[in-house]
Parts: sequence; structure tokens; C-alpha cells
Amino acid sequence: MPGLPATYGPLAAELQRLAAADRRPISAAFELTSRCNLACRMCYVRRPAACAEARSSELSTEQWLDLAQAALDNGMLFLLLTGGEPLLRPDFFEIYTPLTQMGLLLTLFTNGTLITERVADLLAGAPPSRTEITLYGASAEVYEAVTGVPGSYARCCAGIEALTARGVPLGLKTTLTRQNVGELGAMREMAHAWGLPLSAGWLLSKRRDGADSEVEKCRLSFAACRELEAANLAPVTELIEAGLLGADAPSAADVPSFHCYAGKASFVISSVGEMSPCIDLIKPAARPLEVGFAAAWQEVQDFVDAAPPLDPVCSSCDARAFCPRCPSWSARETGTLSEPVPYLCELAFARRDLYAGWDHV
Amino acid sequence: MSCPQTESRIQEGIGNVVVKRDGRFVLQQVSGEYLLVPIGSQVMDTNGLVTLNDTGAFLWRLPLEELSVGELAAALAREFDVDISTASADVQTFLDEITGMGLM
Repeated sequence: MPGLPATYGPLAAELQRLAAADRRPISAAFELTSRCNLACRMCYVRRPAACAEARSSELSTEQWLDLAQAALDNGMLFLLLTGGEPLLRPDFFEIYTPLTQMGLLLTLFTNGTLITERVADLLAGAPPSRTEITLYGASAEVYEAVTGVPGSYARCCAGIEALTARGVPLGLKTTLTRQNVGELGAMREMAHAWGLPLSAGWLLSKRRDGADSEVEKCRLSFAACRELEAANLAPVTELIEAGLLGADAPSAADVPSFHCYAGKASFVISSVGEMSPCIDLIKPAARPLEVGFAAAWQEVQDFVDAAPPLDPVCSSCDARAFCPRCPSWSARETGTLSEPVPYLCELAFARRDLYAGWDHV
Repeated sequence: MSCPQTESRIQEGIGNVVVKRDGRFVLQQVSGEYLLVPIGSQVMDTNGLVTLNDTGAFLWRLPLEELSVGELAAALAREFDVDISTASADVQTFLDEITGMGLM
């Protein structure tokens, strides 16, 4: 066999690395809709499920399939289907089923509330390699305080159970807010009882489109973030593994503005057909259906390559290694691609104080 | 080498080479690497990727169920300019591996 890793995670990582070196778009996300049947206050993208304007601007079934074929022809292997809530689209399976025959590794992000027995049967017949359901609480009271929709907790649990009963590969995740952080332990217990992994995220950004957001009322305090990270060292481990922390960390001048694979091996297409480097960015809004896939991909690469370098405040910051800021974060919080994000500055300072000396471990 | 009995669809585009063989896997060539990607219900049994080397990818394109080990070895020997005993051993190893992985 060739000199590739034998296990899936390292293999996928190596394929992404090779693709980035060749500037091949191996990973994609199709945001099939920006609409959602839940109404989470902290969401960066959501538009109402019944929004006629949003619905009428979404790409058609045929347009999504044309884009998938074009992306496949240009090197796509990993494809995430997300939203909004992708299962809101009445034609979801008209898009999904042909994709399952193309030779792609599909991932589906969903809130789970629309997974009926019929939907579970259809997914089990040709499952994504991975489905991820976001759990917003461990009780109806808290879950629905976050989602704003009565009955959504029971429907989410039913969706999870329908997929687990059929053996569909599934993982759970949660977005922690001030409203539900107290139920993290209970959510872990629920996941354990279902035999499923649960990951948690708690960095909440403003809306991608710049519209008003209630995110600041939902964000955890820095003390709460620090407490969570102290109990779960994964974020720091990831920073060390990424080479951003510790004795071998690169200097600020050596770190490209986009230090992930966005615009180098991965891209996103929004519900209206605009291509960008990552799901948190709406620029450069390249139009593959109008200019062709390859030209749109080139436009995305050019956008990433032209991104400004680190702001001097960031490059001289002694907490930089602990900071998750990237051009996408700056875009959502400041409207630029490089300015410091005060929310993340505070978090980075808190991490620096907590993890001082970690690089000697 | 042509394989008239195999329903193969080969696309040679800018990026991937995609070969459909038996309705359970698609052979993709990504960044020069050969990968078998499970499709449809096969994801339930093979959730991930199978990597193939050049000889494995060549053999995968042949109608494996319809040819003898000798015929496969002869095809391999011609394609890669190796002696027949080496080719036979390679074919047997390949068949053992993919059978063991439930791919046939």
C-alpha cells in the first residue's frame, strides 16, 4: 500500500495536506439553506423557516447537483451538508441521494428535530459517513429556552433515537451558552446513555451577515470559559498539535493570515450559490454557477492569498498562541480581516494565565 | 486493457479520476492517491476509506469475479512488466486482502 496513514483520521488529514499543497478543493460545505425551524438567539446564520425571501433565493436541486459534479471533477472528496437546517428543504433527498452515489465522504449537520422515522429510514439506506446533531440542553425547559421552539427537545431526542436504532454513524455536539452551560454534565450523561460521543463548543460569534444578534447575551463569561477549558484540556492539546503553542511555535511573521485549509483545500457554497473560503465568511462571494467552478475557486484562493497580515497588536501580543482569532473571526466581529477581536483577546489572556508553563509539560 | 463486461464510468477531469465498479465502492484518484470510497448502503459496513497502490487500483478496475487468478496475473504482468510468478503472488495477496476486508 502507498505511504499513507492506515487509520481514517490521520489519512483524512494527510489527504487535506496534500490537497492544500496542490490547491485542490478536496473539502467542501454546501449550506443548503440559511433557514432553520429553531430560533436560537446565538446563531450566526439563521433565518426563519418560513422566510419566503430566503427560500426563493436558495439554489435549486439541479443547481446543487451541478455544483457537486463540478466540485467532484475538480477534486472534492469530503462534503458537508449543512444549513440552517438542511432537512427543511422538501427536496433534501433529491439532492442527497444522488450525492451518495458519487464517491464522496458525506457529513450531515442537523438539529435532529426533523428526523422522523421515514427520514431515518432514508438516511439508513445510504447514510452519511457521519451525522452530527447539536443538542442544546438535557431538559425540555433548558433546550427550548435556547431554541425558542416548544416541543423541539422531544423531537430532537426522537431523531437521535431513530438514527441510533438504525446504526447510522452519529455524533452529538453542543453549543454552550449562559442558558444551558449548567446542563453540560447532564448532556454528557445523555450522550453516554445513547452510546454517542459529545463535543462541546462555547465560542460564539456575531452574525455572519452583520445583522443584529443577541450573541453577547448568550456568551459565557471568561471565568466560565476558563473553568470549562481547565476541565477539558482538548483546546490546548489541539493548539500544541497544530504547532501554534510551545517551543516550536512559529513566529508571527511565519503564520499566514488564513492558517487553516480555507481557500487552499476547502470552500463553502452558501444557500444562494456564493463561494467563500469558510462557513463563517461571506466574501468573496464568488459565483461558480455564473463564472464556472474553476474560476470561482481561483477567486477564493486569490481572496485568501491577498488577506492582510496580522495586526501589529496581535503580532506583538504575548497571548497570541492562545488566541483562536483568524480572518473569519475578525470579519464577523470587526468587519475587517485582521483587526483584533476584543472578545477573543480577553479569552486569550485568560488562557495564557491558566496555561502558563504548559509548553514545558 | 479493456474490460467490456465491467460497467465502468471513467472521468478524467482536472481533479479526480472516478471509477464505479460494483455499486458498492467508487475508486477515486485524489492527489495521485487511489482511494476506494464506499457508496450508498455500503457506508454502514465500510465507513471510511480504503487506500490502494497502483497495482491494486489496476486490478480493481478488472472484472475480478469473472477472471481467474492466472488471467489477472497475466494482465498485471503485461501492465507492469513483471514476471508471472511475481504477478501471481501480488494478485493473490490483493484478493486475500480485499476479501478479508469484505470488499468482494
